[in-house]
Amino acid sequence: MPEESALSVSGVSRSFGGVYAVRDVSLSVADGEVCAVIGPNGAGKSTLFNLITGHLAAEHGQITFHGHRVDRLAPHRRARLGMSIVFQAARVFGGMTVRENVMVGSHGRTRAGFVSAALRLPRHRRDEREIAAEADVALERVGLAEWADRPADRLPIGQQRALQLARALCARPRLLLLDEPASGLRGEERERLASLVEELRAGGLTILLIEHDVAFVTRLADRIVVLDLGQVIADGPPAEVRADPLVLAAYLGQAS
Amino acid sequence: MTRFVRPAALLLVAAVTLVLPATLDDSALAVYILLGLAAIVTAGVSLLMGYAGQVSLGQGAFYAIGAYTAALLSLGGVPPLVGLLAAPVAAAVFALVIGTPLLRLRGHHLAFATLAMQLILLSLAGQLEFTGGDIGLQAIPQFSLGSFEASGAAAYAYMTWAGLAVVMLITHNVISSRPGRALRALATSETAAASSGIPVGRYKLVVFALSATFAGLAGGIYCFYTGYVAPGSFPVLISIQYIVMAVVGGLGTIWGAVVGATAITLLVQGLDRLASLPGMPTYAPSVLSYAVYALVLIVVVLFMPRGLVPALSRRPDRRPRR
Repeated sequence: MPEESALSVSGVSRSFGGVYAVRDVSLSVADGEVCAVIGPNGAGKSTLFNLITGHLAAEHGQITFHGHRVDRLAPHRRARLGMSIVFQAARVFGGMTVRENVMVGSHGRTRAGFVSAALRLPRHRRDEREIAAEADVALERVGLAEWADRPADRLPIGQQRALQLARALCARPRLLLLDEPASGLRGEERERLASLVEELRAGGLTILLIEHDVAFVTRLADRIVVLDLGQVIADGPPAEVRADPLVLAAYLGQAS
Repeated sequence: MTRFVRPAALLLVAAVTLVLPATLDDSALAVYILLGLAAIVTAGVSLLMGYAGQVSLGQGAFYAIGAYTAALLSLGGVPPLVGLLAAPVAAAVFALVIGTPLLRLRGHHLAFATLAMQLILLSLAGQLEFTGGDIGLQAIPQFSLGSFEASGAAAYAYMTWAGLAVVMLITHNVISSRPGRALRALATSETAAASSGIPVGRYKLVVFALSATFAGLAGGIYCFYTGYVAPGSFPVLISIQYIVMAVVGGLGTIWGAVVGATAITLLVQGLDRLASLPGMPTYAPSVLSYAVYALVLIVVVLFMPRGLVPALSRRPDRRPRR
């Protein structure tokens, strides 16, 4: 292999009712890289995202993650290999505090089951303390520390996304997947999120962003993959991609 | 402040629980025991519905399995303690087996499938030889442990409420830890839960089995207390009753099961007195209890959708901030 690739998608397709939403898409994300997938509405971004996370099954093609073939694995198995997701729609868990929400992120890498929980075994208590401490670190990082003991469903939308990010970080991910992270955020919130992603990139985290907002992506991504009508039409550094006539025609030309 | 109020309230509840059996007469004691047993089953229903978002209309079936298991073993000469411990285990194993296909269903479909499960089991119990058919199993020995024999109702009252305490402790410990967080997470969003590494299907199955375990334990105690079990002891109405109790008390609250079971039991007792007044038709008690379940459910869902416990103990941090 020329370069250590964290995620490699090759020849992946998925159709709905005979129409391809994603057709023969290949892309790879190198370790430590920030890669963005952009495209106009209906380009197949969300479908591709769901194929990578496992919430949709691919009809053709392969997906490998750090050398593991993952395209037939259930979402929770992929999560356990180190994929963490920040969803576009607020997926904050109700009936829990902000801290507990973040602690859920550690599920895949911790063990305590029903029996050790029910009996409150010493090992379980120690685990709980460690997870809570780690959750607090993640909350500090996204600026939600003072919300830790509040009910999570009372958070404003912008902060719900920050909460999801903290939850994803608590999983100690090897790949962070962000689905339209900037959508629905106001200027200031968007700025906070962007600088957070920059921080994470500086820390060496591999990130795949699915995004509609080109300006947001240009600033953050090392590389941009452009989808149109379910196919990759460009793949390269932001400056190059932005100048690509195909991209201008398909995407930037019709952007509002 | 709550730091002192909570232990004090717990002590008070414990004291009342311990003193009550000594002061109640036999008919009140029977109500007290059945209330405790209902609360044990309801704790499981509340866990299943409130924390894991799954509905079971067949919880009476697990109660019955526990009762029949303990009864059959005791009649076969096995020590009662073994029978009592086997009751929850049998219910859990049955739940794991039946839950594997059933939990692929959701919402109403799951509710009806569990209801069907109970109906099938009841009709089997009424037909099969070894379960004693419609007459059921009788002359079940008293519960005993070494030289101690639980002969009076008070002993069963203590047994029941000790069982309830254990069930509540288990619920509390599970809910406030890693598996409990996973359950609460999947109740909100199975997609997001799975993406946090939670095996959603397995967790649903385990909580289904845990709720069955509680029901099985209650069934085991029940069979030793009454001394007989028959299909007629486990009507479908009983499963509906558990759901009403769980909803009235407050789904997803630990005390909701006790509060809901108490409220409904006392209400039904009062209505039974009313229905057995001279001049009332013989079908009055059952009609009234059906009506009251429906009415209470509607009133609670309309006016206290989160149930009695959250409505009564609303803490400042639970209020929306403006």
